[in-house]
Parts: sequence; C-alpha cells; structure tokens
Amino acid sequence: MPDPPARDEDLVRRYLSGDRAAFAALVERHERRVYNLALRMTGREEDARDATQDAFLTVLRKLSSFRGEAAFTTWLHRVTVNACYDLLRRRQRAPLLDRGEDDLPAREPPPAPDHADTSSLSMDVRQALLQVPEDFRAVMILHDVHDLRQEEVAAIVGVPVGTVKSRLHRGRIALAKAMGIQQEGRPSGEPGPSGSDEPPDGPGFGERADAAGPSEGTVSP
Amino acid sequence: MSHPEDLLADYVDGTLAERERAVVDTHLDGCARCSAEIRQAEAAKTALSALEDVPVPFGVTGPVLAEAGRRFERRRGVAWERFQWAAGIAAAAALILVVALNLGGGETQNAATPAAAGASGGTGAAAGAEATAPGAIHFPGIERQPNVDDDPGIQAVALEAADAVVAAEEAKAAEATTAPPAAFASAAQDSTQRTTLAKDCVRQSGIQGPQDVLIRLIEAEFEGTPAYIAVFSEGPGAGQPADHIVVFVVAKDDCRILSTASQRVPPG
Repeated sequence: MPDPPARDEDLVRRYLSGDRAAFAALVERHERRVYNLALRMTGREEDARDATQDAFLTVLRKLSSFRGEAAFTTWLHRVTVNACYDLLRRRQRAPLLDRGEDDLPAREPPPAPDHADTSSLSMDVRQALLQVPEDFRAVMILHDVHDLRQEEVAAIVGVPVGTVKSRLHRGRIALAKAMGIQQEGRPSGEPGPSGSDEPPDGPGFGERADAAGPSEGTVSP
Repeated sequence: MSHPEDLLADYVDGTLAERERAVVDTHLDGCARCSAEIRQAEAAKTALSALEDVPVPFGVTGPVLAEAGRRFERRRGVAWERFQWAAGIAAAAALILVVALNLGGGETQNAATPAAAGASGGTGAAAGAEATAPGAIHFPGIERQPNVDDDPGIQAVALEAADAVVAAEEAKAAEATTAPPAAFASAAQDSTQRTTLAKDCVRQSGIQGPQDVLIRLIEAEFEGTPAYIAVFSEGPGAGQPADHIVVFVVAKDDCRILSTASQRVPPG
C-alpha cells in the first residue's frame, strides 16, 4: 500500500529545507482548484491563467513567511481570491483595451472547448455569476461550488461568518435573477403580489450589499 | 414584518437546527417575499453545485515552476559559496592556532586564544565554527533584542554586523590589542544553556554549514513569532577578512526558516 500523501504543511517545510520537488507537488495538487476558482471569479480563460500564475507566484514568494497559523489551503484560497480581485480591478482600469464592451459585466466567455461541463446550463451559470458583485460571487463560489464551510470562507475572505451568511443569501438571489429565475407567488397563493405587504420584487440588491459589510478591501495574506 | 434574514442561507443549505428550521417554516407560511427568495436561492445553489471543474490548460503553471527552479538554484548557489568561504576562514584560524602553539611559550598561547576562550560559552564544537581568528568578531553569547521584529530590522542587524567587521579589521590593523572588539558590548549576555538551545535550533534549521562563522545570536519576536536571529560572517577564505554578512531568522518552536537578509561588508 502506498504511503499516505504528505500534508501540505509538510511539503512547505520540505521545500524550505531544500526539497525542490516539494513545491512542484504542491502546485500539482492544487492547480486545478486554483484555476477553476479563478475561472469562475473572472469568467475568462485568459484571466484565469493570469490569476493562477499570480497566485502561485505569490505563494512562492511568501512561502518562507507562511507560519502555518492558517491551513495552507485557506491561505492559498485567500491568495487566489486576492489575485482575482487585483486582476478584475486592473481590467476595469483599462477599459479601452477591451474594445468598448465593458459596460456589460457578463462578458462573452471563451469559446467552449468540448468538455462535459460546457452544457448550456453551465455556461449560463458562469455568465450569470459575472453579474453578481465580486464579494458576493467569491463567497458563493467558495461555498456552493468548492464546498468550503462558511467558517472557512469567512477566514478566506476576512469577514465574520454572519457576513458570509448574508452575502451567500443575497448573492444566490442575485444569481437567480441574472439567470432569469424570477420570483413567483406562492403556489398556495393566499396573498397575491397586490395583496401582500411586501414589495413584489423584494429589497434591491444594492442596499443589501451595503448592509452586508465592507465590500472593498483586499484581504491581506 | 421582520424577516429571519440571518437564517435563510442556512435554511437553503439545510444546516439549521430543527427548532430554527421550524421558526423559518412558520415565517415562510406568512411571507411571500421570503418564500420567493428561498426558491430563488435554492435554484441558484442547485445550479452552482452542478458546475464541474474544467481541466487546467497546458502550460498554465509552467512559468511558476520555472521561477521556483530559478529561486532554488540561486539559494543553492549562495549556500555553496557560503560553505567555501566558511571553510576558508576555519582553515586560516586553524593555521594561526598551530603557528601560535609551535612558537612555544604559555604566554603566547594565552595571548593568541582569548577569542576562542570567550566563544566557548556554549557547546561551540557541536554547533559549528564561531569566530576564533584574531581580529574576527567575538561571539558574545545569546542576546535579547525585542526591537528586531521584521525584515527591515534584520537588514539593520546585517548592516550593523558589517560595520562591526570593518571595525574589527581596523582594530586588528592597528594592533592596539588582542582583546576582542567591543562590537556588541551592549548586548546582554545570557546563560550557557540558552545559548546551547538557540544553537541547536539554528543547527536543526539546516542554515548553518559545518564551518560557518557565527558572530551573533539574537532572541526576538519576528513578526509576532518567537525567533532566533543568527548572524554569520563570510569571507573569501585564506585569511582574508569577511566580506559578507548573512542573517537568518528561524522560529523558536520548530526551527523553520522565517526570513533572511544579507549585507556586503564595504572593503576597508
């Protein structure tokens, strides 16, 4: 039976004490997770490549100061999310390079390679994700796609768990709207929209975004 | 109507306790808005959890691994140079000692070795070379420096050590005294046992070559982590003065490397 795989933290230590292969093992182990997180955050293959490289280069540069206070994966996710934020901001600051179509948050994703996941539903979800504000998008992707616990998401993005819950809920609703899933009256339907004391469309997304806490600011590694 | 906003995400996740779930269910019976939100959120979650990973395109991490390789080679190069310099200094020190012994007289012996005597406070032989050659920096035992707590701090330590090496060389040239220079006279000397512990940690971290010249060892909090800061002097060997200072920071608890700094000694 093969040995159990080395822990990430042990690979870090081995690299720092001179084992060159240990870093390659870390990259190989996590590149898929990092790349797919970046692809979902940025929506473009080209940006996902850049963000993945930026994230791993940051890890390489800061590995010697990684003190193991957080799990390596938590740190890696944080560095990746920050790399995506940086990239998205750079892209916003250089709109002229993007052929003037930047007012639409949902940029056309790259032509679909023939993978099983590029069904029209997946593509719709990916495009719709780009219409959700970044901070909400990050929380949703980490929790609902990457299956990280709310506490871990909170540690990654640097907000309280309560803020994660709130962003998760508002983000899901924003995503549903972007996907064209509208609110319907209750099937049991006692109070119709006109008889309800609630506005038919619920509160605006923007107001909730403010209530959810600071939406700016890069998490420090 | 107040809505149980803080419970809705967990409601959709299915992680609410039974009692909280009942609270939400009761609310949903009377709130069309929250019911609709729950349906939207559930649809979004379902769509998200159906997303699958795509394979990483070829070549994405290639540049990263190449950079890692370059860094690794640089580090190895530095280590090899350090080993050569340290070996040169140790050989020169041994030669001087042999000459001194051969010249005879007890007085000569005593005069030639005060630095070695001063440096043997810890388990010097086990912990690698310390400065023993006349004119080299005297190793003062472990010190405490609460102010050295970050990268600029250790860079300052490297600079200070470089200045001290220059001062030591000048003192040697003037032949004013065979006593060690008072380079770090203000440093609080500490017990032999603490010095030994620190040296063990430095050795365990793997940064100290078998014959590196340790000139200073500092206890400090480095970026919040209790650490030892080891200062080595390095020279081209063959009795030449040190021309390089290298500082390593290692964590006290498991002796891993936290940071490094280096400083050229200006030619005298």
